[in-house]
Amino acid sequence: MDISKAPNPRKLQLCRTYFFAGFAFLPFVWAINVCWFFQEAFRKPPYPEQSQIKRFVIYSAIGTLLWLLVLTAWIVIFQTNRTAWGATADYISFIIPLGSA
Amino acid sequence: MSHAAAIWLLMLLQGTLTALGERTRDKMYEPILGASCFRRLNGTHQTGCSSTYSGSVGVLHLINVEADLEFLLGNPPSPPYAPLIPPHLFTRSNLMRLKEAGPKNISVVLLINNAEKMKQFSHELNCPNQYSGINSSETCDASNPANSWNPWGTGLLHEDFPFPIYYIAEEKEIDKLKDCFEKFNNKNYETHALRSLCAIEVKSFMSAAVNTEVCMRRTNFINNLGGSKYCDPLEGRNVYATVYPRNSTPNAIEGTKTDEKFILVTCRLDTASMFDGVGLGAMDSVVSLAVFTQVANLLRQILPAQSSLPDPRRNVLFVTFNGESYDYIGSQRFVYDMDKLDFPPKSAGGSPIAFENIEFMLDIGTLDDIANIKLHALTGTQLAQKLLEQLNTYAKSPRYGFNVNIQSEMSAHIPPTSAQSFLRRDPKFPALILNARPTNKYYHSIYDDSINVDFVYANTSQDFTQLVEVGDFKTLKAESLQMKVRNISSIVALALYQSLTGQEYTGTKVANPLLADELLYCFLQSADCPLFKASSYPESPTALPLPPMRYISVLGGSQESSGWTYRVLGYLLSQQKKIPKENCTILPLHFFAGYNNTGECRLTTQNYSHALSPAFLIDGYDWASGQYSTWTESTWSQFSARIFLRPSNVHQVTTLSVGIVVLIISFCLVYIISSRSEVLFEDLPASNAALFG
Repeated sequence: MDISKAPNPRKLQLCRTYFFAGFAFLPFVWAINVCWFFQEAFRKPPYPEQSQIKRFVIYSAIGTLLWLLVLTAWIVIFQTNRTAWGATADYISFIIPLGSA
Repeated sequence: MSHAAAIWLLMLLQGTLTALGERTRDKMYEPILGASCFRRLNGTHQTGCSSTYSGSVGVLHLINVEADLEFLLGNPPSPPYAPLIPPHLFTRSNLMRLKEAGPKNISVVLLINNAEKMKQFSHELNCPNQYSGINSSETCDASNPANSWNPWGTGLLHEDFPFPIYYIAEEKEIDKLKDCFEKFNNKNYETHALRSLCAIEVKSFMSAAVNTEVCMRRTNFINNLGGSKYCDPLEGRNVYATVYPRNSTPNAIEGTKTDEKFILVTCRLDTASMFDGVGLGAMDSVVSLAVFTQVANLLRQILPAQSSLPDPRRNVLFVTFNGESYDYIGSQRFVYDMDKLDFPPKSAGGSPIAFENIEFMLDIGTLDDIANIKLHALTGTQLAQKLLEQLNTYAKSPRYGFNVNIQSEMSAHIPPTSAQSFLRRDPKFPALILNARPTNKYYHSIYDDSINVDFVYANTSQDFTQLVEVGDFKTLKAESLQMKVRNISSIVALALYQSLTGQEYTGTKVANPLLADELLYCFLQSADCPLFKASSYPESPTALPLPPMRYISVLGGSQESSGWTYRVLGYLLSQQKKIPKENCTILPLHFFAGYNNTGECRLTTQNYSHALSPAFLIDGYDWASGQYSTWTESTWSQFSARIFLRPSNVHQVTTLSVGIVVLIISFCLVYIISSRSEVLFEDLPASNAALFG
């Protein structure tokens, strides 16, 4: 969908929907929201709905960043400690590597 | 019309003659046939070998003398390498040095079948099954190999290697490797890094890792998305039979003990080696299996009816245990079942046999040196003394001329045989073990074959089921293996006869050396043999002319050796009945082809019992406790090896760089063409203009 052709209220509605959808543990939706509406929020000449869109984009960006940090931290901790955790690590894994600890 | 047909025919002919399509893959690679080492795991460790996931590649390097290894272990010019090692250099120190060099330098090890200079080859430990026997430092001392049960053992079977080890038996395959090495590698070692070298790729990737606890947990884990198995417990079947049929009491209340009294005669059924599918265990267990079978057959034929014994409740229970090479799997399970009154298995019927029903146990261990057999027991008892006397009565008797002297040893220096599982449960258990001084330099290895035991098949085509006069050697030499087996089994059987009947045996008929001849032939050279045929159903499909696999293996494995032993024991330990074939269908009646293939209906007693370690039955078993065998075998998808010319590093880097450069150039070209497209496509039609505009 080409966002530039949509009317302004429709843009705001979409941006808001994406922002709230992200709360369902969907950080990718927030990331998409940021990419999709970045132009609208910061590059386009001002229009009445822009300030609200800007707010949603910034919040989505913060959410994405937070998720990114948490996930990175978890992945690093899990991967470095997987073998040490033994059975616990196996039970929380979906795919266990073949032929190694 | 006929023209067209002629043309087609011509084309077809042409096609078959000239278009012998050869795939690039087949031009690049030459497959190498061999056997691979694989990974086994116990409660605490992983042992054996594994390749990398996609196959390990190494440059071939022939090792003729020990000094050749220095080239690989120093700073080799084009690592990783794959040393081709003959058996006499496949020593513990050399292998450990290769292991230390790491997979960066040594990625594959090839063992070639060149037995010329080989003096010994045993990769079992000095003290086999050390931690699953009776807990005594006297039993076996690994720090003093000369006094251990396997003085030549290197223990490599219990090491974990970071590279695959591949055994190449056939001359033709070895020549392929040597030729390739001579042609491409064995010159100008300094320029190795700059040219293409002959390399081998071995695939033997193992799924399991760490130890049995980890791989069993992962295998049983339901959330396992891949649905893959990591390892399987070693599992097989024990075979047992009684000399007299047991009185089947259909009304017996479950769990009631019987008042029968059994003499338990046992031996080992399986063997082990480092390589998949190779290893006969001739001296380490086939000889004792042959003695065991002969004892059974001789006793069956000389004993009077059970009712005429001084004590008619007495019987002999013959059991051959599977998986004994791996911490006594079969006997541990037997003891476990017996303790829980689960033996014989429910499916076999009959009332359970308890430990109180066992009068004593005579375990036939390894009989490497027939002239040096000892009767072992943990403590000197009257029973041991009496049996020793009886054995020596016949061993030394001038009537039979066996000329054997059986010594005794009453101490904790007990050989690694099944009896240890019984003694471990109860040190007072009346277990006696016949075992010879260890002289097997190829214990648990691929070279423990018919050459190691000096076996030459007599192939007389005579009746091997009948007993013979003691002076009748049946064309065999007095010092042949068959005669040695005959002598020992006659001595044992006659001693057991005396303890059962209370009378000395005065007959002159003894075991038939031809039965030993046939049994050894079946187990060492070809399963397509007269004894196996005689003990099968008439007109059974013929077996492959290869010896049966004697490694315990896993569930769904071949189980050939227990299957054949079941039939042979069934045949030799049964009574012939005059019942026509049609009525001879329900066990314990069984129809056999018989040695002359006429068909015989026999009343049999043989059956299987499960040889799976109790560790896999007990919920929440502590894997590191060492109480029961915990051996498992990793799963794998394939074993393969192939040689090819591996280009030099320079060559590989050049190829990649050229590729990248071509890619970049092509992008530029497309961009230029695209930006100047109006030169090429001057008049764009209106409809297309709308599309591309």
